[in-house]
Amino acid sequence: MWAALRSRYLHPSATSLPSSSLINRPWKLGFLGLNQTFSSSSAESSSKELLSLQEVEKVLSDVRADDVTVIPVGNQCDWADFMVIATGRSSWHVKNIAQALIYKVKQKQKGAKRLVLPSVQGQETGKWIVVDSGRVIVHALDEKARTYYNLEKLWTVKTVQKEPVEDLTKAFVKVRRINNSKKPAQRSA
Amino acid sequence: MAVSFASRCSRVGRSLMGGLGNNFCNLPSTSSEMTCGSFLSQQQRTFIQMRTVLKVVDNSGAKKVMCIQALKGKKGARLGDTIIASVKEAMPNGKVKKGKVVYGVVVRAAMQRGRCDGSEVKFDDNAVVLVDKQGQPIGTRVFGPVPHELRQKKHVKILTLAGHIA
Repeated sequence: MWAALRSRYLHPSATSLPSSSLINRPWKLGFLGLNQTFSSSSAESSSKELLSLQEVEKVLSDVRADDVTVIPVGNQCDWADFMVIATGRSSWHVKNIAQALIYKVKQKQKGAKRLVLPSVQGQETGKWIVVDSGRVIVHALDEKARTYYNLEKLWTVKTVQKEPVEDLTKAFVKVRRINNSKKPAQRSA
Repeated sequence: MAVSFASRCSRVGRSLMGGLGNNFCNLPSTSSEMTCGSFLSQQQRTFIQMRTVLKVVDNSGAKKVMCIQALKGKKGARLGDTIIASVKEAMPNGKVKKGKVVYGVVVRAAMQRGRCDGSEVKFDDNAVVLVDKQGQPIGTRVFGPVPHELRQKKHVKILTLAGHIA
């Protein structure tokens, strides 16, 4: 199921959505559009995970988190598909973002016998809270922590780093040194 | 730096029990001598305890720390546990200085750790990532491979900072 979703996600269609102006990436809108068409047909896709990307974005826009960034890391790492990074204005705001996500999960699982809650790390300090819900990982940071750790640079640069290795094999080619000396060539004498 | 995943059947080979005698009889004589030699040359790796020197694999400034206390476990710390350590060697301009007492999370251990599917993970060295008392990493990047066990131990922050996950 996931494999089918992922292969379709790799070819995004340019559907325009009236939703959040927080995220302006074409692949993002394409995935959301496809997700909406799928959710009507298969209701089980959202219940497999604790939180889906759409719900995360909705909660973050409700809580008014700043600078929400979604990074698809499915091609880089196999333990997560999406990383959502959000900024809170104060430590209380950061804690509130985490609480809102947990509340959303509890609401989703209303009526079930046992609640499966996402694991939350960093709840006591409001500096960096990670909500790990299966394939989607949400990071709630405050501005200072965001500039300090610079997670976007880490996760968007990773794919670029793998390419230079292929050029190394071509780099092992023997090249003659250029003779820039001013002395006349000895062979002519 | 190598990660070795040993399945349970190869691990049992280190202890020559009666049941395994059958396997050795089936092998030709030269290779059975070789397997006996490899059993004797394998070291018994153990826990990370007081006075264990570990490598620091983040960019917090420290290079080597010495464990002074393993926070959980009577015998010592294993992969994924937190330790208290003293910085023994540090880069000149870094966030931590020599002699500072810091907390750390063990990300690579020479002692094997069993996984739920029966396989075991062990690394070539003992490495640690420095954190503060609340569990926030002090450095911003982690180098080298880190195992999946950190996710179960609630160290997802270190996993996100790491580049390579074993």
